[in-house]
Amino acid sequence: MNKPNYTQVGRSVPRIDGPLKVKGEAIYTDDMVLPRMAYGKIKRSPYAHAIIKKIDYSKALELPGVIAVITGEDGPNKWGIVPQTANEVALAVGKVRFWGEGVAAVAAIDEETAEAALDLIEVEYEPLPVLLDPQESMQRANEVRIHEDAPENILHAGEQLFGDPDKAFAECTYVLEKEFHTSYVNHAFLEPHTALASFDTPSGQLQMWSSTQVPHYLHRQLSIVLEMPMNKIRVTLPAIGGAFGGKGEASPADFCAALLSRKIGRPVKVTYERSEVFATNKGRHPCHMKMKIGLDQDGYIQAIDFDNTLDGGAYAGWGIVVMFYTASMIHLPYKVPNARARVRRVYTNKPTCGAMRGLGGVQPRYAMECMLDEMAEMVGISPYELKMKNAVESGYLSVSNLHVPHTEYKKCLQTAVEKSGYLEKHGKLPFGKGIGLAGGYYISGTAYTLYQAYKPHTTVLIRVDTEGGVTVHCAAADIGQGCNTVMAQMAAEELGIRYEDVHVVSGDTETGTFDLGSFASRLTYASGVAIKDAAAQINQKLKEVAAGMVGCRADQLEIKDGRFYSKFEPKKAIEWEKVVDVYTNAVGTLVGIGHFSPPRLKGIDLTRGKRVQGANIGHSPTFGFSCQIWEVDVDLETGKIRVAKVTEAGDCGQAVNPMSVDGQVEGSIMFAMGQALYEEMRLDAEGKMINASLHDYKVPTAMELPEIDTTIVDSYDPTAPFGVKESGEGPVQPTIPAITNAVYDAIGVRFTDLPITPEKVLRALKEKQALNSECSGS
Amino acid sequence: MYLNDFEYFAPKTCGEILDLVGRLGTKAKILAGGTDLLIMMKEKMLKPDYLIDINDVQELKGISYEPGKGAVIGTATKISEIEHSDLIREKYFALSQAAGELGSAQVRAMATLGGNSCHASPAAETPPPLVALGAKVVVKSIAGEKELPLEEFILGNRKTTLAEGEILTKFLLPEPAPRSASRYSYIGLRDAMEIDAVNMAVNLALEDDGRTVKSLRMVMGSVSPVPLIAVEAQGILIGQVFNQELMEKAAQAASVEANPISDIRASAEYRREMVAVLARRLLQQAFNAASGTKEGNW
Amino acid sequence: MKQLITLEINNRVYEIPVDPKDLLVDVVRKKVALTGTKKGCGQGDCGACTVLIDGEPVLSCITLAIACQGKKITTIEGLVAEDGKLHPIQQSFVDHGAVQCGFCTPGMILSSKSLLDKNSRPSEEEIKRGIAGNICRCTGYKRIVAAISAAGETISSEGVK
Repeated sequence: MNKPNYTQVGRSVPRIDGPLKVKGEAIYTDDMVLPRMAYGKIKRSPYAHAIIKKIDYSKALELPGVIAVITGEDGPNKWGIVPQTANEVALAVGKVRFWGEGVAAVAAIDEETAEAALDLIEVEYEPLPVLLDPQESMQRANEVRIHEDAPENILHAGEQLFGDPDKAFAECTYVLEKEFHTSYVNHAFLEPHTALASFDTPSGQLQMWSSTQVPHYLHRQLSIVLEMPMNKIRVTLPAIGGAFGGKGEASPADFCAALLSRKIGRPVKVTYERSEVFATNKGRHPCHMKMKIGLDQDGYIQAIDFDNTLDGGAYAGWGIVVMFYTASMIHLPYKVPNARARVRRVYTNKPTCGAMRGLGGVQPRYAMECMLDEMAEMVGISPYELKMKNAVESGYLSVSNLHVPHTEYKKCLQTAVEKSGYLEKHGKLPFGKGIGLAGGYYISGTAYTLYQAYKPHTTVLIRVDTEGGVTVHCAAADIGQGCNTVMAQMAAEELGIRYEDVHVVSGDTETGTFDLGSFASRLTYASGVAIKDAAAQINQKLKEVAAGMVGCRADQLEIKDGRFYSKFEPKKAIEWEKVVDVYTNAVGTLVGIGHFSPPRLKGIDLTRGKRVQGANIGHSPTFGFSCQIWEVDVDLETGKIRVAKVTEAGDCGQAVNPMSVDGQVEGSIMFAMGQALYEEMRLDAEGKMINASLHDYKVPTAMELPEIDTTIVDSYDPTAPFGVKESGEGPVQPTIPAITNAVYDAIGVRFTDLPITPEKVLRALKEKQALNSECSGS
Repeated sequence: MYLNDFEYFAPKTCGEILDLVGRLGTKAKILAGGTDLLIMMKEKMLKPDYLIDINDVQELKGISYEPGKGAVIGTATKISEIEHSDLIREKYFALSQAAGELGSAQVRAMATLGGNSCHASPAAETPPPLVALGAKVVVKSIAGEKELPLEEFILGNRKTTLAEGEILTKFLLPEPAPRSASRYSYIGLRDAMEIDAVNMAVNLALEDDGRTVKSLRMVMGSVSPVPLIAVEAQGILIGQVFNQELMEKAAQAASVEANPISDIRASAEYRREMVAVLARRLLQQAFNAASGTKEGNW
Repeated sequence: MKQLITLEINNRVYEIPVDPKDLLVDVVRKKVALTGTKKGCGQGDCGACTVLIDGEPVLSCITLAIACQGKKITTIEGLVAEDGKLHPIQQSFVDHGAVQCGFCTPGMILSSKSLLDKNSRPSEEEIKRGIAGNICRCTGYKRIVAAISAAGETISSEGVK
């Protein structure tokens, strides 16, 4: 299918919320003040694992200005983004399971008083043994149990078998097996969690403003914890200061604000300190992975065996989903005919892990792309050639039944290789300088809701009338990624008008129609389908009116540049506004409602035709692909890695807003570079985080910005609305292995754990040197 | 994160400060840039009853220079002023470099030279170059004034000689020797906003022959509670014709002299090794500059 | 103990009752209701709370409000022209896609302004140094650096301040 000639889609337009943000006038939750508003603060545990013997807050209540204190008993219902594993509570009940877990919350007339009151709450603990390592946690499960209902300290374990990997390995010419370990990293979005709850006692209505990326899931969880019907709760999103998955679940700030507000009948705002953002974490799972890959004599992948122990921290969160995503991610972007995955997600006494940009993909991608780099050497071809040989093509169906309707992955590899001069440089640079290649992919939305409902995932309502012009309603969450702008562009495209003339009402469960939320890179695709659907209804109605005005058949009309015209006699035309005016006068406000339901794809072992546990996870209507090539200079004396250049080429389908896509890609590159080289949350032996600040948790600064060259490869997915795919999570996938492969090219050392610090580099260089002199000496 | 209650004073003269510190004693803290003090107060590590803000005291600010005698830098001089001072860049390059590497533009605009020494963090940026450049501090009390070398002023982690009633008023930097050059560098994970894992300043002067080391100061930071002078390393080079072999010996000696600890930023072993790396690089750079050789072309 | 102080913010004089311990960020946000100044860490590590004091970038989360008397304080709200037109740096941020979530943006723009006020044609390296104290987690900085560079060109060719 040929790509249509778009006028609104494919344009690099400035985002619609840009001016308010640069003026400092965009309102974030913590900027809001309501009449009679109180401030809430949460008392946190200094122990990583302890029984709560007693909480005495009588002295806190005596402090002038303190209005109320709540504890776990005030809202003990268990919540969780995945209903089957819901085991979190607003505030700890009976026991704390990680350092920083909330045990009580105070509402006071101002934040300072609330903070002072925390010191007056006396909590008596009985410390329990602390488990910080997943292996140890499993081994000592008989003796120390983190959750009563998880006797092995395991949230869930699963095994997926596709084809016959054992047989395939036996026939492989090249087999490599390695272990990889990834680090404990946090999103470090800039705006700490914040929630403002206003409970109206007479009507029993709760209004929430929250910094969340999932208004709908927050809505559901509030309903559970507060025991209120969802139709009595309204969730509204002010501007959101970044999320990256860290706001992809409800947070205790939400529950504490709501519970306190209901208790005292006045608005309550809870805003976290930076240390609380770290303490409540929900960042990327550290993974302890074993991967085995087998190639035939020509370098084609025959089998993969993947074993992954995920360190989940104290609670379930997104855990089971992340776990099965890591299993699904070995099936693409290469053709893998036989595969086995054994995965388990283990409880430890750490702040809980959850969803983080590119969830479930980053860790196995690191292992797989590094191993393929190494195996190319075994085969005696370049990593580029090996990856080109194995890369999937449009229409590919994996052995696990993942369907790839369209891909330009090979074009991504080719483009990045050509632009970077990879083939001329790889293996040929002087010692200390290196170039590394890695590819990756990501989903563009999921196939299922987390609570097994098969309703549409997104609904868009477009309203058109003389007074309001065009308004797109959808409860989607613009968390900074720019979905409002993209929705305006897509609606304008379909309606034949300019994007500047489209208003978007999003981020509100009452004024917006249903949407699941901003995660899994789902929104451009999902809202695109719904927008097309809704706009088609609008266009149909308007064409009927315009036909009479222009004097031709409705089905011969086209709409473009704000005009209806006959496609056979383009001079027969009329302005769009005039048609709307006539329609509004005759009928009133015009609305169109569109829905998006993803295809219900099943995780099946195609060789046996059998369903596979957990393998529904990983399916997506389409997938984005990309390749990154990193060039590094390693300081051989200090071990410091300086990044000289990054060349990226990505297949995001048709870019709706290329400038915005570039922003997503560049942001992803720096985001993942942080995990590769600098970032790691560190705990002491008792489980207390020792770098819960942006001082010692080191995210990249502008000084770390290398030269970045990105290309949006020409792509159009004919099965997707406007030909679109994701662009915000795929580009984090290749970064870590590309850096690691570049470091190998520079110094001949393959790093299998993160971050690759100067100290580790130097140690490795020394070991290599010692080995070399030993060999040459003998 | 709120601060404790305190009484605030903003004196206009040195005399007023002395009067206040004499009267209020240890319950008072001097507020200079606040980039360390206020964070410690937020974290409840300190709860002073009085803060004496010295930023309005003109006589404690600014950089002056008299040829042949050297420079005087007021304790309340902002790091950014030092960073951007042509005089400091020309005469005391290591200090200029350290000032430029400290924190961020915001921190440099707020923090003061005196604060950086009085806070006495082992990882502080400016004390090593100041000590290498032979800086003395002037400590004043109602009883009078005394001068002492900065290395004698800083006693340990967050400890100085400042007694009750005393304040640090200025830094005295001697005129650099002819054919001398100073250099500073640090080791950190990122290129900005770092707490240095190791830092070092070298101040090297040559004899008229342009090859023999006349005097040398090598001072390391973050490898000991105080700025550590690499006495052994200096001894290896002083009086000798500068060459690669001696430089390497001196670097190794400095590494042995360092007394680092392991913490979240780096292990002791890594720090020790980095001392040798910095020593090598800085000695070479300083020698090149002092001898008029082009950098990196020794 | 509360005392009445005078602060000049964005060329307007405010009389505000404060405690000595009150931090500038809280006074600006809560008492003057200029919420464009953001609080991202409260410990001087992220730069979101950056304001200009006498043209210098300062971290308002570790600055006492009482210490700012007699000084000219500029917050992000002070950059828009009287006629509502965006400052060239603000316009450049919008045009270059240098804004995503927007939370770092006010501080980032003020750091940029301080930099460009001193040198309207900074090198890329100078720009990076100038904003190294402002963490942005969304954009990867590339577009921010480009926006500042372009704004500098506009400013130097048009003579805007």
